[in-house]
Amino acid sequence: MSLAATSVSEHGFDAWLAHKRSRRIKNWLIVAAGAAVLAWCVRDTILFDTDWARMGGALGIGGTLERFFWVDWSLAPKLLVPALETLMMATLGTILGCILSLPVAWFGAANVTPSRFILYPLGRFLMVLSRSIHEIIWALLFVGAVGLGALPGILAVAMRSIGFISKITAEAIENIDPKPVEAIRAVGGNQFQVMYYGIGPQILPVIIGTIIFEWDINIRRSAIMGLVGAGGLGLVFFRQMAMFNYGGVTLVVLAVLALIALGEVVSHFARKAVI
Amino acid sequence: MALASLQSIPAAPRRWSRYRHPQSTIRFAVLLAVLTFLAWSVAFLNVDLLRILGAFPRLAEILATRYFPPDLNYVSDADFIRSVIRTLEMSLLGGFFGVVFSIPLAWLAARNITFSRRIAYPLGRFAIMGSRSIHETIWTILFVTVLGFGMLAGTLALTVFCIGFAGKLFSDELEAIDMGPVDAMRSVGASPLQVFQYAVLPQVRVAFTGIAIYTWDVAFRAATVVGFFGGGGMGWYLKRTTQQLESTRVAAILLVIIALVLIAEIGSGWLRRRISRMR
Amino acid sequence: MRHEKNIAESRATRGSTADTVASMSILQVRNLKVSYAASGPQILKGIDFAVDGEDFCAVIGPSGAGKSTLIRCINRLVEPTEGDIVLFGQSVRPLRGSELRHLRRRIGMIFQEFNLVNRMSVMDNVLSGRLGYTGAFRSFFKAFPREDIDRALHLLERVGLQDHVDKRADALSGGQRQRVGIARALMQKPEILLLDEPTSALDPKISRDVMRLIRELATEFKVPVLCNIHDVQLALESCNRIIGMQDGYKKFDGPSKGMRKQDLDEIYAMEVL
Repeated sequence: MSLAATSVSEHGFDAWLAHKRSRRIKNWLIVAAGAAVLAWCVRDTILFDTDWARMGGALGIGGTLERFFWVDWSLAPKLLVPALETLMMATLGTILGCILSLPVAWFGAANVTPSRFILYPLGRFLMVLSRSIHEIIWALLFVGAVGLGALPGILAVAMRSIGFISKITAEAIENIDPKPVEAIRAVGGNQFQVMYYGIGPQILPVIIGTIIFEWDINIRRSAIMGLVGAGGLGLVFFRQMAMFNYGGVTLVVLAVLALIALGEVVSHFARKAVI
Repeated sequence: MALASLQSIPAAPRRWSRYRHPQSTIRFAVLLAVLTFLAWSVAFLNVDLLRILGAFPRLAEILATRYFPPDLNYVSDADFIRSVIRTLEMSLLGGFFGVVFSIPLAWLAARNITFSRRIAYPLGRFAIMGSRSIHETIWTILFVTVLGFGMLAGTLALTVFCIGFAGKLFSDELEAIDMGPVDAMRSVGASPLQVFQYAVLPQVRVAFTGIAIYTWDVAFRAATVVGFFGGGGMGWYLKRTTQQLESTRVAAILLVIIALVLIAEIGSGWLRRRISRMR
Repeated sequence: MRHEKNIAESRATRGSTADTVASMSILQVRNLKVSYAASGPQILKGIDFAVDGEDFCAVIGPSGAGKSTLIRCINRLVEPTEGDIVLFGQSVRPLRGSELRHLRRRIGMIFQEFNLVNRMSVMDNVLSGRLGYTGAFRSFFKAFPREDIDRALHLLERVGLQDHVDKRADALSGGQRQRVGIARALMQKPEILLLDEPTSALDPKISRDVMRLIRELATEFKVPVLCNIHDVQLALESCNRIIGMQDGYKKFDGPSKGMRKQDLDEIYAMEVL
């Protein structure tokens, strides 16, 4: 008995060693391949593509950087209105995104979707579409459709938000406890009541957390909408850049940071109040 | 118990209302404030609510008339395909360096295992929050201004973006680890680096790999537009065709972007699922 | 008697065939067969029984006998595959949409795991029993009519939860939660109560209290009860009629007093006790 056990374990030990060795070789191969790909990328993108002469060496870079450090505080009063615009754009975009997310999440949640073969894939596709197109591109498309102004910015932010909000919401709906839903059906509740009383309270904390999170992100998104013609801090950034007033650019960046810090504080308290 | 309650039915009618004194008032006040802010925003930004509804049919109409049919010849051009490959390379480099730099920063910014809560923690947190707070587009423009047009600027912008993105996820993951092994390693006198290697890394390795792949996925999406602001890659084509109003070419580029992002998302999802199964 | 007359009247006003009703039981189940998948095993293999106005009827049997499926068929939480269920003189199987909802709101149901909405208050959970009678506007703003709120308060007091009205449902203990479930079912002014293992998630002492409470309330409101129960002793104590099931067939049907040891042995023949 004990003899048999020893021989088995010795055999097992050899196999284990061999397995371990082959695994180590495999790991090294993966690392080497990765390193080669990275080296090739560095060669291709950085070494060959960069115009080192025009950069002007360390001195040239230092000179440009220095101009960023002389912050142009005189611009500060002119930033208040654009900052407010940015905040409003983010808020309205988030709200619109939530409204648009409702049907998408409903269609794209496997357990409540009205039709499994048409609307479920449609919902899933809209989620991916919303996330795969960058907000800049959404903004360009909407500037083409509705013209310049805050509206295309709001729409772009909203479209970009749909993907995340509806994906998380759909997942929350798929993970609900089905028992309360059954109870509401058993008392004779209709489809709306089942959703509002059976599903709603269960997913509400997740949804509110997600909305707050998305609003936070949307502040930084709407801060760049001005680059493609949608007002707010981005427009000031663009103008300061065009005037080569790098001190003003730094101030705009600082303003964005301040706005986001404000957003963090608000969302911290909002999250605390909800959960 | 039930019998007792039978006898104790009070004569006076009981009252119940959904209204609770301080809580309900506060809730209504907050709701009112939010709604006021929304109404003010609509007025301040001059947003026509009807135009919001009209925007979607209008977009569909424009896509159907001006952007259709997409000029697929344009995107099968060798130069364009090269720019796609360069976009991919930038996202790989940005993702790689972003992950490499964000791991130590996340270590500093994880409250439970940081070196010192007074100095290292705020420092790491500020670095991550700072890179996160500024949009990748702004980073691109800043790097282009300092370093000139080209993929170096784009790669650096993506690196900073990935530091912010992955750093947050990494530090959240680190803050959720089981502290038992950490305390055990500390009690045998291990140095911080040893603690990190032997007690922390084994717990988070799988999650970190998943996050790294996800970071690349997100970096690739961002990489498609850094070229729009001079960062190199396919975004430059997007800018040129948009400015010259070559809508059918824009449509073709957009289709390519959607297809590539889809492939990246499916690929990264598959890889992440495989890795989490290896756990 | 008074209760039966009421039901007969309400049926007449709802326009069903009042003259045939007088001779019929409240619930009749005929040759009921259920299988979950088209090719899957049959859970119920042809069940016949009837429930009358005074009945407090327990369905007992070993696990997997199809007790829960039987109960859930009656308000169509599970779809029957064959046979007929006649409730309040109305055939249940062909009902669709709002007809089905109107039937369901006349049936109170108490669940094994209470099936409360955990993040809602006790009051809202009890009020949700009235949803079948509440319009879209009122249900959206949770603005239930005064009489519903009064009834909810009365019922909560009746089940001994008057001090927990505004607590969240997940802050209560198991026994308390089931009391909320009872109050919710009674909110419907049900004409029949279905109990799906109401005590299996509770410990024995609380189980007895809860069953006694249900029994009291059923007598007080004159509601017939169809109850699926695992604990034979508890069934014999609290019910006046027993239906014994085994492997999808009915094996016993009679008053609980007339039940003998050998009847039980037959029902549980296939289970190792």
